[in-house]
Amino acid sequence: MILGLSIIISACLFLGLSAYKAFQYAQMPLHGRMELYPVPLEKERHIYGGSYMEEPQWWSKPREISKTAELIDMLKEMLFIKKLFDHQRSLWWASYIFHLGIYFLIAWMLLLITGALTDLAGASVNAHQTLWTAFLYYLTIFTGLVGFAITTAGAALLLLRRIFDPVLKKYTTLQEYFNLVLLLAALLSGIIIWSPDLTFETARQVTADVMTLSVVPNTALVIHFILLEVTFIYIPLSKMSHYVGKYFSFHKVLWENEPNLNGSEMENKIKNALGNKVYTLWSAPHMQEPSAK
Amino acid sequence: MMKEKDLRPKELGRPAEQLIHLDQLMPLSFPYDQPGMETDFPAVKPEWQEKYCTSLDGCVAIDTLTRPKTEEEEKEFIQQFLSGLGKVFSDANNSVLQPLKLSFEYCAKCNTCSDACHVYKGSGENELYRPIFRSDVFRKIFNQYFTSGGKLKKKFIGADIEVNWETVARLGELAYRCNLCRRCAQTCPLGLDNSLFAKEIRKIFSQEMGIAPTPLHAKGTMLQLKTGSSTGIGKAAFLDMIEFLEEDIEDRIGRKVKIPIDKEGADILLSHNAGEFVAWPENPAAFAILFEEAGVDWTLSSEMLGYDSVNYGIWYDDAQAKKVALKQMKVAKELGVKRMVIGECGHAHKALGVVADRYVYPEEKIPVESWIPIMWELVRTGRLRFDPEKNNFPVTLHDPCNMVRQMGIVQPQRNILKVIAPQFREMTPHGVDNYCCGGGSGFAIMSSPNFGQFRDKVSARMKFDQILRAFSDTIIDKSIPKYVCAPCSNCKGTIREILSHYQATDKFNVRYGGLVDLMVNGLASIDKPYLEFLSDQQI
Repeated sequence: MILGLSIIISACLFLGLSAYKAFQYAQMPLHGRMELYPVPLEKERHIYGGSYMEEPQWWSKPREISKTAELIDMLKEMLFIKKLFDHQRSLWWASYIFHLGIYFLIAWMLLLITGALTDLAGASVNAHQTLWTAFLYYLTIFTGLVGFAITTAGAALLLLRRIFDPVLKKYTTLQEYFNLVLLLAALLSGIIIWSPDLTFETARQVTADVMTLSVVPNTALVIHFILLEVTFIYIPLSKMSHYVGKYFSFHKVLWENEPNLNGSEMENKIKNALGNKVYTLWSAPHMQEPSAK
Repeated sequence: MMKEKDLRPKELGRPAEQLIHLDQLMPLSFPYDQPGMETDFPAVKPEWQEKYCTSLDGCVAIDTLTRPKTEEEEKEFIQQFLSGLGKVFSDANNSVLQPLKLSFEYCAKCNTCSDACHVYKGSGENELYRPIFRSDVFRKIFNQYFTSGGKLKKKFIGADIEVNWETVARLGELAYRCNLCRRCAQTCPLGLDNSLFAKEIRKIFSQEMGIAPTPLHAKGTMLQLKTGSSTGIGKAAFLDMIEFLEEDIEDRIGRKVKIPIDKEGADILLSHNAGEFVAWPENPAAFAILFEEAGVDWTLSSEMLGYDSVNYGIWYDDAQAKKVALKQMKVAKELGVKRMVIGECGHAHKALGVVADRYVYPEEKIPVESWIPIMWELVRTGRLRFDPEKNNFPVTLHDPCNMVRQMGIVQPQRNILKVIAPQFREMTPHGVDNYCCGGGSGFAIMSSPNFGQFRDKVSARMKFDQILRAFSDTIIDKSIPKYVCAPCSNCKGTIREILSHYQATDKFNVRYGGLVDLMVNGLASIDKPYLEFLSDQQI
């Protein structure tokens, strides 16, 4: 029971802590404008990096915004890590297969949960029963095999790169090595546990056991679960939570070029921000003049 | 002895007369790839070593950062820095808290930013100038002093740096080895910005420790707030200059142009970098000629800060930036103009057009825009007519980072050039991907005691190479003038310095100037060449 409960709690903590982190960033005070072009929101102009400020008297004209272009750029980053592809191809290969593998493993876990629910509902997940069960059966195998293979290969390549690249190794802290080692350990323990049954029926059964809090523990499973739980809880507390940070750095900093127009929501936000009392003061002599505070 | 390329962030404070030597710079393109085309760095004078922090790379950017005389002074210096470092993540720094925390927390140190940095590349890929080097030192010091935990935890998170006077002083200097051009941020897969650390270090030095380069602070924002302009020009001198400009216009083109001053309720208040009046009066004169010819309702201001659009505060001190910007806006508001238009000055564009956009309450607001879209409108609608043959020589365009990468004003200037300059060619890369001129964030105006050398040889090196490549077809032919169009005062100043440093004007007839100067030169209605270098040359 404890083993099932602990993995559910750690998964909830992963989601909760990630959401809390996002909440913390969202609550931060309004910052100065720091947009950097191209801003994909700029309809048509984003292709060459232009903005609404290319228009004379831009404030008197309706802004031409394209949410679709923003979404496309966002997806390019999320699905392909485009900036790394464009600017550092050699690292992109390792990073991309690693991140793509994580997407596969997330899909695999969701398929295991769906499969377990299907099993618990009485319809056994196999290749022959129905189209749905066959779909779950094959897709679970595919996502699991690809996910484990490329995530592990990617993590190993990233670790090796950090160890042997003379530049990266100068800047990598013990914690940053630990992050990759922890992920690799969780992945390898998963491979050890699940590889005897590549149809993942065992994995689906254990998932069902987790959901019914009836996991039958064995040493290997306990080790894998502990590693997985530590990883779930640790990720949102570390820089590996960049899936949260990346949203803010792009959407709220680099792509945020909302002007302070009369009657706009931004005008209100600025008014409120300017009205906030500041308690910490700088100490240089010229900062002591009333206008500096 | 340790190799310079093996330098690590935690060694910033290690004892050494000079941490690195700039002796293997990026090779330049033809004809500067030939032996004897470039001089070496001059030796560092012993009196500088004694007085300033020359121990980083031999150059001195912060002339107010002097060596301590006693151990107490040394301790106080470190303490002040740490006190400021703590404030960086407090409510004292609300306007940058979110972007800074993101960059502090999430940098994966993937090193993608290095290849984007013109200082790093120009230096011959010297480790010290790698964008993550500076931010890693910042991170290490912060974690050492502001993160709880024992020795083991600190080692685990990389808080392993020895902090002494040399560490802090070198870090202060290192903050002035970044032009804040933000090209690195453009390439970051996580959308983070390493230039923020350079800016925050500069802010700690200024806002907490009262230490900033004289040209930026004492002779920059302080002088501007006191006299009305960072040039020190007062109202009377400004009005004299305008009179001189009117006479000069008449001499140059044989046309009487009355420059409107303090015209209440005008459509446009044009605000120039006051350095233009002193160093390049032909530039504000060109604006006057073009606006007069197109029948624009405009004015200049003779009020304090109204005649100088510069705002050096955005490079090193948020409070100074805000004071300057608010006063500039107040002038426009009181004059009752409909809009404020910024002339050929990149950082003034960003300061008033973008940064100050979030400084003001509704009642203080005045619309701010760039001169470029307005001028393109005048060209597009035929209010200004040109004879492009007058500009029939190679022209290339420098994209000022503040206007282009940081404001998205990319196309109108190109549209104008396509109309007026038949031999216009782009630099590589260009537009939002362009390299900084090397004078950004104050470097253009910082020369003493030897910082000009760093600018000309290292930070502006990539730009000079871009210029050489843009003119590779004609560079060797001295009879053909080649024009670098730099529509920004500081960029223009930097290009002036590099052309002089490399003797590119004397040897290869490479010239520089603004866009409006080139426009006036191409005006169909004017008979004589407006660009001085054309007077003695036949195109």
